[in-house]
Amino acid sequence: MNVTESIRADAARLLTEGRAKMVIGYGLRNGRSVPVFLTEPQGADSLHYGPQCTLNLAAYLARPEVRRNAPLAIVAPPATLRSLVVLAAESQVPDGSVLALAVGPQEYHGVVDVAAAAEIVRKHYASPEVDPDLAARARELAAMTPAQRSAFWREQFAKCTRCYACRAACPGCYCRRCVAETNMPQWVSTAARGHGNYAWHILRAFHQAGRCVLCGACEAACPQGIPLMLLNLSTAQEVQEQFGAKPGLDPAAKPVMGSFRPEDKDDFIR
Amino acid sequence: MKVLEANKIGELAAALSAAGWRVLLPIEDGKVVRLAPWSPGAAVRTDVVPVNSIKDALFPPSEVIGRFGLDGGDFTVQEAPVDTAKTAALCVRPCDAASVSLLDTIFNWDFPDAFYNARRSAVTIVSLVCASADEQCFCTSVGGRPDGTAGADAVLRPAEAGAKLILEPLTDKGRALADAAGALLSEATVTADEPAEVPQKFDRPAVTKWLAANFNSPLWQKWSLACLGCGACAFTCPTCHCFDIQDETTRSQCVRYRNWDTCALALFTQHAGGHNPRIDQAARRRQRLMHKLSYIPERFGLVGCSGCGRCQRVCPAGLGIVEICQAIEDIQKVPAR
Amino acid sequence: MIENIYQPTVMRIAASRDEAPDVRTLRLEFAHDQTRRDFFAAYRVGQFGIYGVPGAGESVFCVASPPTRQEYIECTFRRVGRVTSALADREVGQTITFRGPYGTHFPIDSWRGRNLLFIAGGIALPPLRSVIWNILDRRSEFGRVAIVYGARTVADLVYKHELADWASRGDVQLVTTVDPGGQTPDWTGRIGFVPTVLKEAAPSSDNCVALVCGPPVMIKFSLPVLTELGFTPDNIYTTLENRMKCGVGKCGRCNVGSLYVCKDGPVFTVRQVMAMPQADL
Repeated sequence: MNVTESIRADAARLLTEGRAKMVIGYGLRNGRSVPVFLTEPQGADSLHYGPQCTLNLAAYLARPEVRRNAPLAIVAPPATLRSLVVLAAESQVPDGSVLALAVGPQEYHGVVDVAAAAEIVRKHYASPEVDPDLAARARELAAMTPAQRSAFWREQFAKCTRCYACRAACPGCYCRRCVAETNMPQWVSTAARGHGNYAWHILRAFHQAGRCVLCGACEAACPQGIPLMLLNLSTAQEVQEQFGAKPGLDPAAKPVMGSFRPEDKDDFIR
Repeated sequence: MKVLEANKIGELAAALSAAGWRVLLPIEDGKVVRLAPWSPGAAVRTDVVPVNSIKDALFPPSEVIGRFGLDGGDFTVQEAPVDTAKTAALCVRPCDAASVSLLDTIFNWDFPDAFYNARRSAVTIVSLVCASADEQCFCTSVGGRPDGTAGADAVLRPAEAGAKLILEPLTDKGRALADAAGALLSEATVTADEPAEVPQKFDRPAVTKWLAANFNSPLWQKWSLACLGCGACAFTCPTCHCFDIQDETTRSQCVRYRNWDTCALALFTQHAGGHNPRIDQAARRRQRLMHKLSYIPERFGLVGCSGCGRCQRVCPAGLGIVEICQAIEDIQKVPAR
Repeated sequence: MIENIYQPTVMRIAASRDEAPDVRTLRLEFAHDQTRRDFFAAYRVGQFGIYGVPGAGESVFCVASPPTRQEYIECTFRRVGRVTSALADREVGQTITFRGPYGTHFPIDSWRGRNLLFIAGGIALPPLRSVIWNILDRRSEFGRVAIVYGARTVADLVYKHELADWASRGDVQLVTTVDPGGQTPDWTGRIGFVPTVLKEAAPSSDNCVALVCGPPVMIKFSLPVLTELGFTPDNIYTTLENRMKCGVGKCGRCNVGSLYVCKDGPVFTVRQVMAMPQADL
């Protein structure tokens, strides 16, 4: 059986056995990969899997309309597996409420719970391949002076229309009331210009620091072509360098930016 | 007829700039083509629908609609300037030009919006008949055509397999622009190329009729599961026009902004007291669709959609107007026996 | 100078009164007399205004005072968010911004010679209060006036001193009530939910127009009582409150069905409300 056939068989089985009330997977509409939400085993034939499946389906786990169909099963390529582990570490996935149909670039790992998903990540996907072009651009960015970097990002963020597609597509952005939409107090300007855009993107990058699984869903979602993965990769590299932490490997890990260890460096305090 | 060499768009832009126009063209910017201010050397791309529309030039993502001077607990009301920069928007898609009539209607409904009207008066829209369309285009399903001239001050028609462009002024503004093009236009007789073919994707009047009777259909829940509740579709849409008003202050000044907003976002109808009448994404997705294809037709006799296909191109979950209208048609079909 | 439809006028707070916990009434005077004249040339009872504090934003409330009193306007609101907090923090003598009047009005001229029944709950009395005073200021033109008003507790009743005025007038029949458990030891009014008390009071629907304003649950249970009493959807009026921003039919927030509450409302007959896609606004 190829990967798609295996996914279909397992999805149908999970629904028939009642181990999942809904399977979230990828389907094809006019050649384009789209999310599908199955509640009947007969629908399993609509599932497909292929390299065009770039949306991170874990973004749906935060939505109440989806959650009320728990237990859920979700088709999970490596980035989604990492998302599940991060969400579990942050208590967003109640025990037993989500199963993953774990998929790799070449193989199908079968139906796993969050703990087994973490094992698969540690074993096979601990160091995700970063697109070489992206890595090169990140090096270029790192070589800039702070002023040059700031000017670069200001130019990129000027294109932003504050549609929040990046936030909506990101499994790590699950706050019920986003800090950018709070007005008592108004932390961030909501106007799609200048400092407000800058604040929004840097804020989101910081909120994702140490949590971002580099799935690329945000950049794929951005209608304006803002190079969000460049920002996320730079931040992830910084977090790894400073704290030796990578998200998505351990469902019991404390969030790196949200916890303090005595060994944390304090040489920035002068 | 007035004819421009198709490879002289840049020179036309330069001539108009020299004559005092701000020129907008669909310009490549990395992965994206955007209707944006032209500058020499810009890579003009007319083969794809740009990610944004002429809406941006008339009703920008964020603009100032009020100013106040602040002095401790006191304030003074100040003027909010309008933008009257003479602008030429070239190679605008016919679907975008056609959408302007809805914006004109809303922004002048009983209370004329001076900010919109100032930009509107200052902009000359030159549309470019579509030589190609992609699978997301569906102008013909909502009363439009790839060679439509609605909303345009002038239209460019490709001719001689795209090597030439016939410039046809339609209004005084269009004629003024043609005059400014001067020697770039030659008098010639050429035959216009056939425009792109855009097959009909759904029966819009039938969809509107279904919508009016099916507000409470349980299908809205199913059709909204994939919707992530962002603003990508509404913000890139040429007809969507909803906005928020927000004040921002420094110690001495308050600026009142008008910012794009969308009924797809959860907070759009959130009451300060905590109640939200559109409590879930089904209610919100339904509102967007009903507003565009049911309420606007009923109220204003216009279709709140121009068939540009941007919603489908930008939606992270592959949703869009065609997808849901075809779903509506599907449920009405008698199953074949 | 361009005419900016979003540009507000300036109002001075002439007086302020706490009605109930977190509920405040402001009496506002126009800073410019010509603006005051222009306003009252246009204002009809039921319309709303947009009140603001630059820096905090703007908020929509009905005009709670009638067009028969042209020296000032009043608004009554509850402190719930950023703008209402900023408004409630303003002091007498300070200024706020105002835009209006907007929206539709109660067709009181067509009610001459008819009886009137007002039913209100809690913080929803203000829009009806403007009509009540409009009627009372032109008392001889109208028939019987009956008011049924209730709140969760005695403290939540707004316009308490006006309730006493209305009760003591011989030409108004007033019934006040609080929810069971909301009474104080010296409470002399009724005890019961508004729909229940309405049913007990059983006002006649003969030649009568009813105006209902209150929380959705109160309206939901009051309408069957009114229907039983003989009122029809065309002679029951309400005023809807919706999230609004521009107030002039452009921002889209208050769109319900093919109607916009800021343009086609806020005053609607129950027949119009029943035709809306969702009654829960």
